Amino acid sequence: MIDTSVELAGVILPNPVLPASGTYEVDEVHEGFFSPSELGAVINKTIFMNPRPGNPPPRIWETPCGMLNAIGIPSEGLERFLAEQLPRLRRLGPPVIVSIAGNSVQEWRDLAAAIDSTGSADLIELDLSCPNLEEGFIWAADEAALSEVVTSVVKVTRLPVISKLSPNVRDISEMAVVAERAGTAVVSMINSHQGMAIDIGTRKPILGNITGGLTGPAIRPLAIHSVFTTFKKITVPIIGIGGIATWQDAVEFLLAGATAVAVGTQNFVNPMTMKEVMQGIADYIEDAGFSSVRDIIGLAH
Amino acid sequence: MSQPYHRNRGFVAFFCGNGYHCGEMSIHPLYRTATVLEATEEGRDYLDLLLREPEISQIAGPGQFLMIRAWPGVDPMLPRPFDIMQSDPREQTIRLFVKVEGRGTALLRSLKPGAEVKITGPLGRPIEDFSYSSLAFLVRGAGAAAVVHLAEAAGAQGIVVYTILSASAASRIVCRKYLEPVSTELIIGTDDGSEGYEGPASDLLDDLLRRKTVDRVYTCGSRRFARHVQRLDREGRIKGFVFLEGLMACGVGDCHGCAVPKNGQGGYFLVCRDGPHFPIAEVAL
Repeated sequence: MIDTSVELAGVILPNPVLPASGTYEVDEVHEGFFSPSELGAVINKTIFMNPRPGNPPPRIWETPCGMLNAIGIPSEGLERFLAEQLPRLRRLGPPVIVSIAGNSVQEWRDLAAAIDSTGSADLIELDLSCPNLEEGFIWAADEAALSEVVTSVVKVTRLPVISKLSPNVRDISEMAVVAERAGTAVVSMINSHQGMAIDIGTRKPILGNITGGLTGPAIRPLAIHSVFTTFKKITVPIIGIGGIATWQDAVEFLLAGATAVAVGTQNFVNPMTMKEVMQGIADYIEDAGFSSVRDIIGLAH
Repeated sequence: MSQPYHRNRGFVAFFCGNGYHCGEMSIHPLYRTATVLEATEEGRDYLDLLLREPEISQIAGPGQFLMIRAWPGVDPMLPRPFDIMQSDPREQTIRLFVKVEGRGTALLRSLKPGAEVKITGPLGRPIEDFSYSSLAFLVRGAGAAAVVHLAEAAGAQGIVVYTILSASAASRIVCRKYLEPVSTELIIGTDDGSEGYEGPASDLLDDLLRRKTVDRVYTCGSRRFARHVQRLDREGRIKGFVFLEGLMACGVGDCHGCAVPKNGQGGYFLVCRDGPHFPIAEVAL
């Protein structure tokens, strides 16, 4: 019997597999696929303080081995999230990560404090890196902004804070160092890579938002490189994200130095992916003669 | 007293204790392997695809769709959405009608009987309200496929069905063999006059409304027709509905790709979760 559990800042995940925020709604519609109670952790689509409609269509566009999206994070707002979705996440069993995003430092702080006060979250993820917001600002691409948000949030919550980092920077490992110095307990990487597509017929950008974020297997090597180069520079754990389509891809992230892995776009392709990845990792650990998933974290170094 | 169309729901236990069908109670979509029984090319651009799958075929209702993926690897990456044209719980089959337009649909065209494909479904809201007596379809091209299941269900409820099939030319008229048996009257219109009425088929709908009592109109496959039906709906002449498409990655409400703007009130519907059919007054066209 192998031990699949991993630890993120004192929170024990029964296994290292979770959905990337905004790619797997934990609701009754999904229960025909597999039970979300089997996941390593559950997470919401990033919540903002106020309701937001999201971006005008077209919002997605398929690309080679990936897709562009410019969804713009439609959100029901904090109030409804606290009343409806958060209690549902809490009831499922796995640790609850609440993903938040603010439009100002004050808003980041208020959101974190509100989530903390419910007692229903185990970790708070700061979505500092969405490339598709109308404000056009990526917090995690600006050292001072990143540092300021993380510093202010950790002051108002006892919960461990995850900083979700952007690949749209000169060196993501340096941004991870900035986040760690500011007090983050975990980093997650990578969010989508900025991209766009142009319709050669209309000669205009395809996406309603003009630019979007590239996800899927196309960005996996970039994500592996990010995790690998960050692993030795920080002491806090990494959640590896970026184009995981199979359990083999997930093992690659663990070997690069990720403590946990998040599946995003592939959930759209095959809603059983996370279940298959959980099983595949466990089988790999056993077949290779290890006793714990933790034995292979960072082994590629 | 129970709602109609039980016959297509097989043995799935999702009825309330009082015998009423719980419309708001969601059936979980399933992710399954289906086997291709027939893949028949219709003309240059169309594919009639018959699949065998024992579970989804039991629970698919009219108005629902599925996602299909028929190739290995990650390129093309996303599954493709198609309306479930027919589902037969006894034969355990599902029929789709595909317009071959891009890489994914070209791969579907290359399928041979016996091939295995992955499907997720049923998706979207099943149509469950049959409390009216006459129904007209105004459909164009492959949009005809979206209403076949509904036509069969409505016909089984004793609802009078009028079908207006539109296409650019006679050779582009599809799904006639499925709609003819369930239509009290089937009317053809083509842009070039190669069959039936020459001109916009919305004229045929106006003519039908002069001749017959029509309670509801469902339209699919043409934005122009949809605007026409929306106008008729606004004038109170019929209750209009439209089947919409959207670029979607997942089909289950996760990706939020298939947004369509709401009419007047701001914000968006998701085609996959809120549709794919909408009361036509509620969407901005």
